[in-house]
Amino acid sequence: MSGQSSLALKEEGNRHFQKGDYVAAEALYTKAILADPTNPLLYTNRAMARLKMSRWDSVIEDCEECLRLSSSTSTSTPGGSSKNFKALYYLSQAHLPLKNYDQAVAYALEAHKICADTHDKSLAAVTSQVLKCKKERWEHREKLRKREEQELEGEVVEMLRREMDGLLKTSSSGEDEDEEERKETEKMYEEKIERIRAVFERARDKENQRRPNPPDWAIDDISFQVMVDPVMTKTGKSYERASIEEHLRRSETDPLTRTPLTIKDLLPNIDLKHACEEFLNENGWAVDW
Amino acid sequence: MPVQFAAKRLGKELNKIQNGLPPGIELVSADNLEEWLLDIRVLDNNPLYLNDTYRLKFRFGQSYPIEPPEVVFVKQADRPIPIHPHIYSNGIICLDLLGQQGWSPVQSVESVCMSLQSMLTGNTKNERPPGDEEFVRANKQRPKDIEFYYHDNTV
Repeated sequence: MSGQSSLALKEEGNRHFQKGDYVAAEALYTKAILADPTNPLLYTNRAMARLKMSRWDSVIEDCEECLRLSSSTSTSTPGGSSKNFKALYYLSQAHLPLKNYDQAVAYALEAHKICADTHDKSLAAVTSQVLKCKKERWEHREKLRKREEQELEGEVVEMLRREMDGLLKTSSSGEDEDEEERKETEKMYEEKIERIRAVFERARDKENQRRPNPPDWAIDDISFQVMVDPVMTKTGKSYERASIEEHLRRSETDPLTRTPLTIKDLLPNIDLKHACEEFLNENGWAVDW
Repeated sequence: MPVQFAAKRLGKELNKIQNGLPPGIELVSADNLEEWLLDIRVLDNNPLYLNDTYRLKFRFGQSYPIEPPEVVFVKQADRPIPIHPHIYSNGIICLDLLGQQGWSPVQSVESVCMSLQSMLTGNTKNERPPGDEEFVRANKQRPKDIEFYYHDNTV
């Protein structure tokens, strides 16, 4: 049976992957796929090896194929959705180095939602991926914005210069009175240009000032990170879902009061979630405060 | 648990600590993120601890802060082991906060240091735990693996 040998090839691929031999693992997963091209799980395995090899485009192809196959076959197979989260998680990881920031964020959030719903143990890793994508997207946007502002500054100065040159040309007869006027005009424009430069400089200084710590309300007291998916305990205190679930798996107690607490008791804190999102959109640096 | 968890949180704690610590607590070194040294002093005039500084060694596992750190006093020429009915003469501390049951992930290096400060401040007994000599001679276990019997949780 081809299915049988495909499974054996995958197992062998896994062994090579664990040893860190990603090239051999990738080749074995490819053989496994040739033997059974309709098994979506084989594609995420290969994507995982290709991630390690920094082959971003082929990671994306594999993950998309996996998602296509798993949506066309029955979607309710056990483990099906948790594998899908892997395809989405890898998609996010591949789109990020390709600078497709919006896609990287969107896939990370989709993966996060599935992990949160299934209480998957990878939730902490996926939460970190959401933060990483948001930070890199913010940095990219900041870079663009700074470049645009610098260009704008240059343009404004250039326009003032041209305006000044125009005025000077029309009064270029060379008499003493005109000479006086010319000097006056020149002085006025130089001052204007100076002021424009100072305004832009001040804006830049403000940005470069040392950033304060992010506000306490946005920070999870367990991971010390900005919260992505805050959930509330019975006392009204909120934590990052991944952190508090990790704690509750070890000890079913409220971290502050030590009274009994289970994962089922946790409630999403939607308003805080939106506040954290908004904060992070403006302050991407806070991911690495 | 992703490997990154402990490193990230410790990096941020260090960040915070470098902006200042409460009085009587000082960071000695955290060059290695898994092992930190801090000095603590008792701030009131408790004669048992007057003029002495004590050195604490924190060791963090990969699952910190879900799992507690291992915290012991270490002895040096100018850093004695404080006398206390819950502190063995080899530096091992019997405090429920540091045990598997009493630990909470919202605790931090700073909060542990403050708890130890107040544990010393409140003490009036100039004695070691019962069976100290025997314990220090026989114990080969790591502090976190010891099942302490918390006979008195008020200290």
